Amino acid sequence: MTALMKKSRSIRLVLLGSAGITLAACGDDGPPQDAQFYSSVADCAAVYDTATCESVKAEAEQKFAEEAPKFTRKEECEAEFGPGNCETQQASSGGSIFMPMMMGYMMGSMLSGGNRFAQPVYRGANGSAVMPNGGKFFNVGSFGGTGAGAANSFRPAAQVSQVSRGGFGQSARAYRTTSGG
Amino acid sequence: MERLRTEPRPDWREHVERDLGFVFHTIDDAPYWDETACYRFSESEVDTIEDATGELEQMCLALVDRVVASGEEAYERLRIPRSAWAAIESSWKVGEKNLYGRFDLSYDGSGPPRLLEYNADTPTALFEAAVVQWDWLEAFRPEADQFNSIHERLIEAWRNFGIGRRRLYFSSVKGHVEDAGTVEYLRDTAVQAGLTTDRIDVEDIGWDGRRFVDLENRPIDVLFKLYPWEWLVGEPFGEHLLTGVAKVIEPAWKMVLSNKASLALLWEMAPGHPNLLETSLEPERVPGRVVRKPIYSREGANVSLLQEGRVIAETSGDYGAEGFVYQSYAPLPAFDGNFPVIGSWVIASQPAGMGIREDSTAITRDTSRFVPHFFG
Repeated sequence: MTALMKKSRSIRLVLLGSAGITLAACGDDGPPQDAQFYSSVADCAAVYDTATCESVKAEAEQKFAEEAPKFTRKEECEAEFGPGNCETQQASSGGSIFMPMMMGYMMGSMLSGGNRFAQPVYRGANGSAVMPNGGKFFNVGSFGGTGAGAANSFRPAAQVSQVSRGGFGQSARAYRTTSGG
Repeated sequence: MERLRTEPRPDWREHVERDLGFVFHTIDDAPYWDETACYRFSESEVDTIEDATGELEQMCLALVDRVVASGEEAYERLRIPRSAWAAIESSWKVGEKNLYGRFDLSYDGSGPPRLLEYNADTPTALFEAAVVQWDWLEAFRPEADQFNSIHERLIEAWRNFGIGRRRLYFSSVKGHVEDAGTVEYLRDTAVQAGLTTDRIDVEDIGWDGRRFVDLENRPIDVLFKLYPWEWLVGEPFGEHLLTGVAKVIEPAWKMVLSNKASLALLWEMAPGHPNLLETSLEPERVPGRVVRKPIYSREGANVSLLQEGRVIAETSGDYGAEGFVYQSYAPLPAFDGNFPVIGSWVIASQPAGMGIREDSTAITRDTSRFVPHFFG
């Protein structure tokens, strides 16, 4: 009998109902849209005042020390980041550790009154520019060369510098009504 | 077809919110879901509605074919901007699938159902029809039948859509509870079909110069939008969308059917068809009382009833800039002073079920109430 009926045999909901509507997007700790890469205080001072640039650089260096991957052998580090792209740091225990090279930093939200954004950028595998933040790693661009001199060859990833938003949705506001009908 | 008064379940609000996630049952303090009444149909009445729905859908698909074949002249009569023509044509020629549509029918149980309009691009009142009235039937009269296999057909349609492992983004405008609920329901059915899904508001969609991206800058390759095509193409990112860089649901060819000038073209294609009302782009072509509707409009806005060119009733709104169509006036049937419109659904172009919206006036607006039905 049921097979001939015109109604659904059963209905199950996996997102709605007891599960509740989940409308919120997941958290995003990527760089803010206005964030830019700077390789030095001098570079940054062309845009912002020197004191701000120095303080952002110091903040980024501290985060780099805390968050960048650390290796006990140089070969391991270079296998990951490429020859010439690792440098030695003095470990607190007294021995040497190897880390990727900090090439500069991303800074943003300086003018908009939001929280200041400052994160270190180092050279990752295949010339990528890697920015750690909150335990995640973001590919923010690329470097053309190797070693410390490559800092000036930074090219931003398309999604960092060029994403524009708000290109849809204006008509809904203009018409003051629902989109559906 | 008859209207029965029924006793609402005492705890229905709590039940539909908690168990179904139906949060827009009350809109602006007025009941939207209304189980103080229901409609009872006979089996043959339901068959009549189902057959008419299938036939109307086939006529609409035939119309798209004619419009694409005829090109410029037809697009201009439909007021479709030139920038969209190529996208319509290519989406039709490659056979891009469509998910759904809702025919609004005037029907009183005798004579043929008549098409008032076709919501081909952004139909809503879907969740109410598919789930809430089904759930009501299970409580009210579980042995009875209902013209409603929408839920099952949606899941089946997603399985056949050809999306594969690509992430399917569901989008609607910010801050609109009803649209968000409809989209979240559709996402629910897509998840049940095994698809990988995500959610984004249309305002948050990004463009990186090559492709659309989400808030984490991941590419959006497949986009379901509960947002009209005619709005999308006129907005800053519209030109990117029309390149076909992302697969869009509904497909671009639905633009042919989502504007009311298509009602006039349908009549030209099948004049005198029993399920159509005479409709024209020119007011003097339609005799007697005429309903004037904006070519692009939603929710019954800017509709006027004309008698020999004189306005005798009208609704307000912001639409009408693109012109109007003139449709022969078919008074809605009245049941206890209520005017029901039958929203008859197609899923993947197959008749799938219906939902009834009732208003206390003869023009169905967004203040109408959703009333459940059963048959047999």
